[in-house]
Amino acid sequence: MSTYVYGIAASSHPALPKDMGGVGDPARPVRILTEGELAAIVSDAPEGLRPKRKDLLAHQTVLSEAGAGGVVLPMRFGSVAPDDAAVTEVLAERAEHYLERLRALDGRDEYNVKASHNEEAVLHRVMSESPEIRALAEANRQAGGGNYEQRLQLGETVAAAVQRQEAEDAVDLRHALEAVAEAVSAGPESTGWLANVSFLVDHGAAETFLAAVEDVRKSHPHLDVRVNGPLPPYSFVEPGPSEPAETGPRV
Amino acid sequence: MTVVPAQQAGGGGGGSSGLYDVLELILDRGLVIDAFIRVSLVGIEILKIDVRVVVASVDTYLRFAEACNRLDLEAGPRKAPGLPDLVGEITESGARGKSKGALSGAAETVSEAFRQAREEGQAEPRPRARKATSARRKEEQE
Repeated sequence: MSTYVYGIAASSHPALPKDMGGVGDPARPVRILTEGELAAIVSDAPEGLRPKRKDLLAHQTVLSEAGAGGVVLPMRFGSVAPDDAAVTEVLAERAEHYLERLRALDGRDEYNVKASHNEEAVLHRVMSESPEIRALAEANRQAGGGNYEQRLQLGETVAAAVQRQEAEDAVDLRHALEAVAEAVSAGPESTGWLANVSFLVDHGAAETFLAAVEDVRKSHPHLDVRVNGPLPPYSFVEPGPSEPAETGPRV
Repeated sequence: MTVVPAQQAGGGGGGSSGLYDVLELILDRGLVIDAFIRVSLVGIEILKIDVRVVVASVDTYLRFAEACNRLDLEAGPRKAPGLPDLVGEITESGARGKSKGALSGAAETVSEAFRQAREEGQAEPRPRARKATSARRKEEQE
Protein backbone atom coordinates (compact mmCIF):
# COMPACT_ATOMS: atom_id res chain seq x y z
CA MET A 1 0.00 0.00 0.00
CA SER A 2 1.59 3.29 -1.05
CA THR A 3 1.56 6.28 1.26
CA TYR A 4 0.32 9.79 0.49
CA VAL A 5 2.38 12.49 2.23
CA TYR A 6 0.83 15.85 3.23
CA GLY A 7 3.65 17.44 5.14
CA ILE A 8 6.49 17.19 7.60
CA ALA A 9 6.46 18.58 11.14
CA ALA A 10 8.45 18.25 14.32
CA SER A 11 7.38 15.24 16.38
CA SER A 12 6.98 17.72 19.22
CA HIS A 13 4.26 19.55 17.22
CA PRO A 14 1.48 20.02 19.79
CA ALA A 15 -1.53 19.40 17.58
CA LEU A 16 -0.81 17.03 14.72
CA PRO A 17 -4.04 16.24 12.90
CA LYS A 18 -5.85 13.09 13.85
CA ASP A 19 -9.30 11.72 13.04
CA MET A 20 -9.25 13.75 9.84
CA GLY A 21 -10.21 12.65 6.39
CA GLY A 22 -7.56 13.01 3.71
CA VAL A 23 -7.46 12.40 -0.03
CA GLY A 24 -9.47 9.71 -1.78
CA ASP A 25 -13.10 8.68 -1.92
CA PRO A 26 -13.92 7.57 0.69
CA ALA A 27 -11.44 9.89 2.39
CA ARG A 28 -8.43 7.98 3.71
CA PRO A 29 -7.82 8.64 7.42
CA VAL A 30 -4.85 10.86 8.19
CA ARG A 31 -2.07 9.21 10.22
CA ILE A 32 1.21 10.34 11.73
CA LEU A 33 4.55 8.60 11.15
CA THR A 34 7.27 9.51 13.62
CA GLU A 35 11.01 9.21 13.12
CA GLY A 36 13.24 10.79 15.76
CA GLU A 37 12.47 14.48 16.05
CA LEU A 38 10.35 14.51 12.90
CA ALA A 39 6.84 13.45 12.03
CA ALA A 40 5.18 12.98 8.66
CA ILE A 41 1.47 13.62 8.15
CA VAL A 42 0.30 10.85 5.83
CA SER A 43 -2.60 8.67 4.77
CA ASP A 44 -2.93 5.65 2.54
CA ALA A 45 -2.73 6.70 -1.09
CA PRO A 46 -5.87 5.86 -3.06
CA GLU A 47 -5.41 4.03 -6.35
CA GLY A 48 -5.42 6.30 -9.37
CA LEU A 49 -5.25 9.55 -7.42
CA ARG A 50 -5.76 12.58 -9.66
CA PRO A 51 -5.79 16.32 -8.97
CA LYS A 52 -9.52 16.52 -8.42
CA ARG A 53 -11.13 19.37 -6.58
CA LYS A 54 -12.04 17.26 -3.57
CA ASP A 55 -8.51 15.87 -3.24
CA LEU A 56 -6.84 19.25 -3.67
CA LEU A 57 -9.12 20.58 -0.99
CA ALA A 58 -8.34 17.66 1.32
CA HIS A 59 -4.61 18.26 0.90
CA GLN A 60 -5.02 21.94 1.71
CA THR A 61 -7.40 21.32 4.63
CA VAL A 62 -5.13 18.78 6.33
CA LEU A 63 -2.20 21.18 6.03
CA SER A 64 -4.22 24.14 7.28
CA GLU A 65 -5.33 22.18 10.32
CA ALA A 66 -1.82 21.05 11.06
CA GLY A 67 -0.42 24.51 10.38
CA ALA A 68 -2.84 26.10 12.82
CA GLY A 69 -1.19 24.18 15.68
CA GLY A 70 2.46 24.64 14.73
CA VAL A 71 4.88 24.87 11.86
CA VAL A 72 4.57 22.31 9.06
CA LEU A 73 6.51 21.87 5.82
CA PRO A 74 3.76 21.38 3.23
CA MET A 75 4.38 18.86 0.47
CA ARG A 76 3.42 19.69 -3.10
CA PHE A 77 0.11 18.03 -3.98
CA GLY A 78 0.36 14.43 -5.09
CA SER A 79 3.51 13.18 -3.37
CA VAL A 80 3.29 9.44 -2.94
CA ALA A 81 5.86 7.19 -1.26
CA PRO A 82 6.02 3.44 -1.95
CA ASP A 83 5.19 2.68 1.69
CA ASP A 84 5.43 4.04 5.26
CA ALA A 85 8.99 2.79 5.65
CA ALA A 86 10.10 4.87 2.65
CA VAL A 87 8.73 7.96 4.38
CA THR A 88 10.48 7.39 7.69
CA GLU A 89 13.70 6.60 5.81
CA VAL A 90 13.59 9.99 4.13
CA LEU A 91 12.89 11.67 7.49
CA ALA A 92 15.90 9.92 9.00
CA GLU A 93 18.21 10.68 6.07
CA ARG A 94 17.38 14.38 5.80
CA ALA A 95 16.48 15.09 9.42
CA GLU A 96 18.93 17.94 9.76
CA HIS A 97 17.71 19.75 6.67
CA TYR A 98 14.04 19.46 7.60
CA LEU A 99 14.67 20.49 11.19
CA GLU A 100 16.51 23.55 9.94
CA ARG A 101 13.61 24.47 7.64
CA LEU A 102 11.11 23.96 10.46
CA ARG A 103 13.11 26.28 12.69
CA ALA A 104 13.39 28.87 9.92
CA LEU A 105 9.65 28.87 9.28
CA ASP A 106 8.50 28.56 12.88
CA GLY A 107 5.90 31.19 13.77
CA ARG A 108 5.44 32.30 10.17
CA ASP A 109 2.73 31.96 7.58
CA GLU A 110 2.45 32.48 3.87
CA TYR A 111 0.13 35.18 2.54
CA ASN A 112 -0.54 35.06 -1.16
CA VAL A 113 -1.51 38.32 -2.78
CA LYS A 114 -3.03 38.58 -6.23
CA ALA A 115 -3.88 41.79 -7.96
CA SER A 116 -5.71 42.62 -11.13
CA HIS A 117 -6.96 45.83 -12.63
CA ASN A 118 -10.48 47.04 -12.28
CA GLU A 119 -10.90 47.62 -15.97
CA GLU A 120 -13.00 50.73 -15.98
CA ALA A 121 -10.92 52.32 -13.26
CA VAL A 122 -7.61 51.62 -14.99
CA LEU A 123 -8.92 52.90 -18.33
CA HIS A 124 -10.05 56.02 -16.55
CA ARG A 125 -6.63 56.38 -15.04
CA VAL A 126 -4.63 55.96 -18.24
CA MET A 127 -6.95 58.35 -20.04
CA SER A 128 -6.71 61.00 -17.41
CA GLU A 129 -2.92 60.74 -17.44
CA SER A 130 -2.40 60.79 -21.18
CA PRO A 131 -3.31 63.81 -23.31
CA GLU A 132 -2.57 61.69 -26.37
CA ILE A 133 -5.19 59.09 -25.45
CA ARG A 134 -7.71 61.75 -24.56
CA ALA A 135 -7.18 63.44 -27.93
CA LEU A 136 -7.58 60.16 -29.82
CA ALA A 137 -10.69 59.26 -27.85
CA GLU A 138 -12.22 62.68 -28.39
CA ALA A 139 -11.53 62.54 -32.13
CA ASN A 140 -13.16 59.11 -32.33
CA ARG A 141 -16.13 60.23 -30.32
CA GLN A 142 -16.71 63.15 -32.64
CA ALA A 143 -16.48 60.78 -35.59
CA GLY A 144 -19.28 58.67 -34.14
CA GLY A 145 -16.88 56.16 -32.61
CA GLY A 146 -14.28 56.40 -35.35
CA ASN A 147 -13.57 54.04 -38.20
CA TYR A 148 -11.88 50.67 -37.77
CA GLU A 149 -8.34 52.08 -38.12
CA GLN A 150 -9.03 54.88 -35.67
CA ARG A 151 -10.53 52.56 -33.09
CA LEU A 152 -7.63 50.17 -33.50
CA GLN A 153 -5.12 52.96 -33.02
CA LEU A 154 -6.84 54.23 -29.89
CA GLY A 155 -7.22 50.73 -28.49
CA GLU A 156 -3.61 49.82 -29.13
CA THR A 157 -2.38 53.00 -27.47
CA VAL A 158 -4.63 52.34 -24.48
CA ALA A 159 -3.57 48.69 -24.25
CA ALA A 160 0.09 49.72 -24.17
CA ALA A 161 -0.65 52.22 -21.41
CA VAL A 162 -2.58 49.59 -19.45
CA GLN A 163 0.33 47.18 -19.72
CA ARG A 164 2.75 49.81 -18.48
CA GLN A 165 0.38 50.48 -15.62
CA GLU A 166 0.24 46.74 -14.82
CA ALA A 167 4.01 46.54 -14.57
CA GLU A 168 4.16 49.68 -12.45
CA ASP A 169 1.42 48.49 -10.11
CA ALA A 170 3.06 45.08 -9.70
CA VAL A 171 6.26 46.76 -8.54
CA ASP A 172 4.38 49.15 -6.23
CA LEU A 173 2.47 46.31 -4.63
CA ARG A 174 5.54 44.24 -4.04
CA HIS A 175 7.54 47.13 -2.63
CA ALA A 176 4.77 48.12 -0.27
CA LEU A 177 4.36 44.62 1.13
CA GLU A 178 7.89 43.23 1.15
CA ALA A 179 8.75 45.91 3.69
CA VAL A 180 6.50 44.18 6.23
CA ALA A 181 7.31 40.59 5.25
CA GLU A 182 10.29 38.39 6.03
CA ALA A 183 10.58 36.85 2.59
CA VAL A 184 8.99 37.20 -0.81
CA SER A 185 8.33 34.61 -3.48
CA ALA A 186 6.90 35.30 -6.90
CA GLY A 187 3.96 33.01 -7.51
CA PRO A 188 3.59 30.93 -10.65
CA GLU A 189 2.77 33.22 -13.58
CA SER A 190 0.20 32.89 -16.32
CA THR A 191 -2.95 32.77 -14.31
CA GLY A 192 -4.35 36.13 -15.28
CA TRP A 193 -3.04 38.43 -12.59
CA LEU A 194 -0.80 41.45 -12.92
CA ALA A 195 0.78 40.39 -9.64
CA ASN A 196 0.81 37.04 -7.89
CA VAL A 197 3.23 37.18 -5.00
CA SER A 198 3.59 35.25 -1.77
CA PHE A 199 4.93 36.81 1.40
CA LEU A 200 6.27 35.09 4.49
CA VAL A 201 4.84 36.90 7.48
CA ASP A 202 5.58 36.50 11.16
CA HIS A 203 2.51 35.80 13.31
CA GLY A 204 3.17 39.00 15.21
CA ALA A 205 3.27 41.04 12.01
CA ALA A 206 0.07 39.71 10.44
CA GLU A 207 -1.99 42.76 11.35
CA THR A 208 0.70 45.10 10.08
CA PHE A 209 0.85 43.15 6.85
CA LEU A 210 -2.91 43.25 6.31
CA ALA A 211 -2.93 46.95 7.13
CA ALA A 212 -0.27 47.46 4.45
CA VAL A 213 -2.53 45.63 1.98
CA GLU A 214 -5.35 48.01 2.92
CA ASP A 215 -3.04 50.95 2.30
CA VAL A 216 -2.28 49.64 -1.19
CA ARG A 217 -6.00 49.27 -1.87
CA LYS A 218 -6.52 52.88 -0.85
CA SER A 219 -3.57 54.30 -2.76
CA HIS A 220 -4.33 52.21 -5.87
CA PRO A 221 -8.13 52.25 -6.18
CA HIS A 222 -7.91 50.86 -9.72
CA LEU A 223 -6.48 47.60 -8.33
CA ASP A 224 -8.43 44.62 -7.11
CA VAL A 225 -6.23 43.03 -4.48
CA ARG A 226 -7.00 39.58 -3.09
CA VAL A 227 -5.23 38.19 -0.07
CA ASN A 228 -5.18 34.54 0.91
CA GLY A 229 -3.69 33.62 4.23
CA PRO A 230 -2.52 32.54 6.61
CA LEU A 231 -1.44 29.58 4.52
CA PRO A 232 1.07 26.80 5.08
CA PRO A 233 4.40 28.13 3.76
CA TYR A 234 4.18 26.37 0.37
CA SER A 235 6.44 28.89 -1.33
CA PHE A 236 9.09 28.96 1.37
CA VAL A 237 9.84 25.32 2.14
CA GLU A 238 13.14 25.50 0.33
CA PRO A 239 15.74 28.08 1.35
CA GLY A 240 16.64 30.95 -0.95
CA PRO A 241 13.68 33.31 -1.20
CA SER A 242 13.44 35.02 -4.56
CA GLU A 243 15.27 38.25 -5.18
CA PRO A 244 13.64 41.65 -4.66
CA ALA A 245 11.68 42.93 -7.63
CA GLU A 246 14.26 45.44 -8.83
CA THR A 247 17.09 42.92 -9.07
CA GLY A 248 17.92 42.24 -12.68
CA PRO A 249 18.88 38.85 -14.07
CA ARG A 250 22.22 37.61 -12.85
CA VAL A 251 25.01 36.96 -15.29
CA MET B 1 -3.06 36.24 18.68
CA THR B 2 -3.60 37.04 15.06
CA VAL B 3 -6.86 38.48 13.92
CA VAL B 4 -7.64 38.01 10.27
CA PRO B 5 -10.71 39.57 8.64
CA ALA B 6 -13.30 36.93 7.96
CA GLN B 7 -13.22 37.13 4.18
CA GLN B 8 -9.51 36.51 4.20
CA ALA B 9 -9.57 33.50 6.47
CA GLY B 10 -11.09 31.26 3.80
CA GLY B 11 -7.80 30.12 2.29
CA GLY B 12 -6.23 29.36 5.61
CA GLY B 13 -9.30 27.62 6.92
CA GLY B 14 -9.37 25.36 3.91
CA GLY B 15 -12.73 26.65 2.75
CA SER B 16 -13.54 25.81 -0.84
CA SER B 17 -14.01 29.49 -1.69
CA GLY B 18 -10.28 30.07 -1.35
CA LEU B 19 -9.19 26.95 -3.19
CA TYR B 20 -9.04 28.50 -6.63
CA ASP B 21 -6.81 31.30 -5.41
CA VAL B 22 -4.28 28.97 -3.85
CA LEU B 23 -4.51 26.19 -6.41
CA GLU B 24 -1.24 27.00 -8.11
CA LEU B 25 0.54 27.01 -4.76
CA ILE B 26 -0.78 23.55 -3.93
CA LEU B 27 0.20 22.27 -7.38
CA ASP B 28 3.42 24.19 -8.10
CA ARG B 29 4.91 24.99 -4.72
CA GLY B 30 5.57 22.96 -1.60
CA LEU B 31 8.18 20.42 -0.73
CA VAL B 32 9.23 17.89 -3.34
CA ILE B 33 11.07 14.76 -2.30
CA ASP B 34 12.69 12.98 -5.19
CA ALA B 35 12.38 9.59 -3.53
CA PHE B 36 8.61 9.94 -3.83
CA ILE B 37 6.61 9.86 -7.00
CA ARG B 38 4.07 12.53 -7.93
CA VAL B 39 0.65 11.70 -9.25
CA SER B 40 0.00 12.70 -12.82
CA LEU B 41 -1.38 16.18 -13.27
CA VAL B 42 -2.90 15.35 -16.63
CA GLY B 43 -6.21 17.13 -16.98
CA ILE B 44 -5.16 20.18 -15.02
CA GLU B 45 -3.72 22.11 -18.00
CA ILE B 46 -6.96 24.01 -18.32
CA LEU B 47 -5.92 25.97 -15.25
CA LYS B 48 -2.98 27.45 -17.11
CA ILE B 49 -5.00 29.55 -19.53
CA ASP B 50 -3.88 33.12 -19.25
CA VAL B 51 -6.67 35.64 -19.34
CA ARG B 52 -4.17 38.43 -19.81
CA VAL B 53 -2.75 37.26 -23.14
CA VAL B 54 -5.74 38.90 -24.75
CA VAL B 55 -4.42 42.34 -23.78
CA ALA B 56 -2.32 42.53 -26.95
CA SER B 57 -4.89 41.54 -29.52
CA VAL B 58 -7.05 43.31 -32.04
CA ASP B 59 -10.15 42.29 -30.12
CA THR B 60 -8.85 43.96 -27.00
CA TYR B 61 -7.87 47.11 -28.87
CA LEU B 62 -11.37 47.48 -30.25
CA ARG B 63 -12.91 46.79 -26.90
CA PHE B 64 -10.66 49.30 -25.14
CA ALA B 65 -11.45 51.88 -27.80
CA GLU B 66 -15.16 51.42 -27.20
CA ALA B 67 -14.73 51.56 -23.46
CA CYS B 68 -12.74 54.79 -23.74
CA ASN B 69 -15.41 56.37 -25.88
CA ARG B 70 -17.90 55.61 -23.16
CA LEU B 71 -15.74 56.78 -20.27
CA ASP B 72 -16.73 59.97 -18.57
CA LEU B 73 -13.59 61.55 -17.23
CA GLU B 74 -15.51 63.97 -15.05
CA ALA B 75 -17.35 61.25 -13.16
CA GLY B 76 -14.35 59.66 -11.44
CA PRO B 77 -13.24 56.09 -11.79
CA ARG B 78 -15.82 54.30 -9.68
CA LYS B 79 -18.84 56.56 -9.74
CA ALA B 80 -22.09 55.97 -11.51
CA PRO B 81 -22.07 57.32 -15.04
CA GLY B 82 -23.45 60.84 -15.29
CA LEU B 83 -25.83 62.19 -17.88
CA PRO B 84 -23.18 63.14 -20.48
CA ASP B 85 -21.95 59.58 -20.35
CA LEU B 86 -25.38 58.17 -20.98
CA VAL B 87 -25.71 60.38 -24.04
CA GLY B 88 -22.31 59.14 -25.15
CA GLU B 89 -23.45 55.59 -24.73
CA ILE B 90 -26.48 56.06 -26.90
CA THR B 91 -24.32 57.55 -29.65
CA GLU B 92 -21.91 54.75 -29.13
CA SER B 93 -24.40 51.95 -29.40
CA GLY B 94 -25.66 53.56 -32.59
CA ALA B 95 -22.17 53.36 -34.03
CA ARG B 96 -21.82 49.83 -32.80
CA GLY B 97 -24.93 48.74 -34.58
CA LYS B 98 -23.46 49.86 -37.88
CA SER B 99 -20.05 48.35 -37.49
CA LYS B 100 -20.94 45.14 -35.75
CA GLY B 101 -19.35 42.29 -37.62
CA ALA B 102 -17.63 39.05 -36.82
CA LEU B 103 -14.76 40.83 -35.15
CA SER B 104 -16.73 42.88 -32.69
CA GLY B 105 -18.75 39.79 -31.87
CA ALA B 106 -15.52 38.08 -30.92
CA ALA B 107 -14.49 41.15 -28.97
CA GLU B 108 -17.64 40.91 -26.93
CA THR B 109 -16.96 37.28 -26.13
CA VAL B 110 -13.52 38.19 -24.88
CA SER B 111 -14.99 41.14 -23.04
CA GLU B 112 -17.44 38.82 -21.34
CA ALA B 113 -14.65 36.49 -20.26
CA PHE B 114 -12.63 39.42 -18.98
CA ARG B 115 -15.60 40.82 -17.10
CA GLN B 116 -16.37 37.45 -15.53
CA ALA B 117 -12.80 36.99 -14.43
CA ARG B 118 -12.86 40.40 -12.83
CA GLU B 119 -16.19 39.93 -11.17
CA GLU B 120 -15.00 36.76 -9.55
CA GLY B 121 -12.58 38.94 -7.71
CA GLN B 122 -15.25 41.33 -6.52
CA ALA B 123 -18.26 39.27 -5.68
CA GLU B 124 -18.72 38.32 -2.04
CA PRO B 125 -19.28 35.56 -1.26
CA ARG B 126 -17.10 34.58 -4.15
CA PRO B 127 -18.67 32.38 -6.74
CA ARG B 128 -16.58 29.44 -7.81
CA ALA B 129 -14.04 30.66 -10.28
CA ARG B 130 -14.59 29.97 -13.93
CA LYS B 131 -11.40 28.00 -14.33
CA ALA B 132 -12.05 25.89 -11.30
CA THR B 133 -15.48 25.23 -12.69
CA SER B 134 -13.92 24.00 -15.90
CA ALA B 135 -11.68 21.74 -13.92
CA ARG B 136 -14.63 20.41 -12.01
CA ARG B 137 -16.53 19.82 -15.19
CA LYS B 138 -13.58 17.82 -16.37
CA GLU B 139 -13.70 15.69 -13.28
CA GLU B 140 -17.32 15.00 -13.73
CA GLN B 141 -16.70 13.79 -17.23
CA GLU B 142 -14.41 11.13 -15.97
